[in-house]
Amino acid sequence: MTDHSHTRFIVHVTLVSILCLGTALPAVAQQPAHPAPPDDQAAREALPVYPSLHIAGFGDVNFAAQNRNDGPRGFTEGQFTLHMVSALSPRIAFFGELTFSPRLDGGTGNPPATGFNAEVERAIIRFDQSDELKVSFGRYHTPINWWNTAFHHGQWLQTSIGRPEMVQFGGRFIPVHFVGALVEGVVPSGGLNINYQAGIGNGRGSVISRAGDAGDNNDVPALLANVFIKPDRLFGLQIGASAYSDRITTIGRPDYNERILAGHAVWQHEDPEIIAEIADVRHTQVGTSLTTSGLAYYVQAAYRLPAPARLWKPYFRFEHIAIDANDVVFAGVPNLDGSIVGVRYDISTYVCIKAEGRFLKRVDNQPRANAWFSQIAFTF
Amino acid sequence: MVMVGAFRRRLVRQTLWLAMALAWPVTLGAQTGHDVAVVVHPDVPVDSLTTADLRRLVLGDRGFWPGSVRVTLLIRAPIAYERDVVLKNICEMTEAQFRQHWIAKVFRADTAVAPKIVYSSEMASDLVNRMAGAITFIDAAQVGRGMRVVKIDGRMPGDKGYTLH
Repeated sequence: MTDHSHTRFIVHVTLVSILCLGTALPAVAQQPAHPAPPDDQAAREALPVYPSLHIAGFGDVNFAAQNRNDGPRGFTEGQFTLHMVSALSPRIAFFGELTFSPRLDGGTGNPPATGFNAEVERAIIRFDQSDELKVSFGRYHTPINWWNTAFHHGQWLQTSIGRPEMVQFGGRFIPVHFVGALVEGVVPSGGLNINYQAGIGNGRGSVISRAGDAGDNNDVPALLANVFIKPDRLFGLQIGASAYSDRITTIGRPDYNERILAGHAVWQHEDPEIIAEIADVRHTQVGTSLTTSGLAYYVQAAYRLPAPARLWKPYFRFEHIAIDANDVVFAGVPNLDGSIVGVRYDISTYVCIKAEGRFLKRVDNQPRANAWFSQIAFTF
Repeated sequence: MVMVGAFRRRLVRQTLWLAMALAWPVTLGAQTGHDVAVVVHPDVPVDSLTTADLRRLVLGDRGFWPGSVRVTLLIRAPIAYERDVVLKNICEMTEAQFRQHWIAKVFRADTAVAPKIVYSSEMASDLVNRMAGAITFIDAAQVGRGMRVVKIDGRMPGDKGYTLH
């Protein structure tokens, strides 16, 4: 290319650019006073249709290495979780959650055990009268613990790999599931946003880690109340307290009255994220004054690093469980003093990788169990 | 020859300056943007909202208008200027945090209806007038006549101190 043609080329390109920009300018300047009609198909799809079933899912794959036998080793499939939500009318909706959990005894026994346990975790039909009053019936995650109702079975939603042991699925310290009815809403309270939940249900089943799905096993219903605030002035803060009462009936043991008092304080921003919960579980043998008490709490702190390391979120949690040695209902529930430290890396919007070390002490005069876990968790 | 070379250089330089001068308003427009108006369905019985009210609406913590009309949130698809303004100024969240918030919100059974995505200001304008209880966010320069714009903290778009921009 000669000098002359090179110059001509630059001038041509520049003039074409000017023309392009020139056509863009009037478009910016002449924004329509009356909007043009939209794409009708997109608009039609946005209009509500009933029922409107939507299915989402959560999954995770884990790897564990540990120096003591306190859980699985090697690769494990996590729970395969399906979540269904369907608006049945502007005020009525159904929510369901199904999980498929791998079994250690898959293929053994006669007939052979299946490889996965299928479980209806939640099945809720809810009527929304207003923000102040919503009434629902079904199977819930018991709303007396923040973690239990914030993350459910979606491992991707929570920062850490595992749940705090006080709300472990299959654990006994807190009744994780609740079958019954719930009334909830927000009380007009200026900027304080006082939320309430009150429920009546079957309480624990004969196996106390399970809810009474097929009916109550005694004539004393479980009652629960939960109150929390989310003040406008401190956006991200939630503070709450809850109470729960039930009668526990198990085979071969006397009945016990159970009373749980719990509290939580949560700062839901990610820089930092702070979650603290405490629960006191008291059991009193019916007809006697014999009372035992168990206490559990945890504090978790996490911090989403600033850019350019924004995909990384280191975290730490300390947890403690103390069970009264005379507590017959909690016989076999281990004590715990444990710390976890880990990091979450959000590889994409819907997939994260977590690595976590757990350092657990069950009994005072025994060494700590140290374990390393990693997890890929995702939603789909 | 020397004079011709100097002329060419000057021509190129002047043309480039002209191009930059014309491009400047477009670039400036993209960087600063306009106020974003909060528009509601004509029957929504609300004239003014606080920033906190708006945050509760956008995050799904408030699902009903006074009179128990269900709120329908119409929000622009990612990358749109209006969506960026709402996420940054109202929700104090990144795009990823906002998505996670709504996935969790529906998963927690707090609501059965996630925000509806609108792909243009025209679509937002059309649907907000068609769907009872709808609320959306539109570049104030594109708000048409007859659209119901609500005040935020007592201010309309264009007022001094208006925060949505």
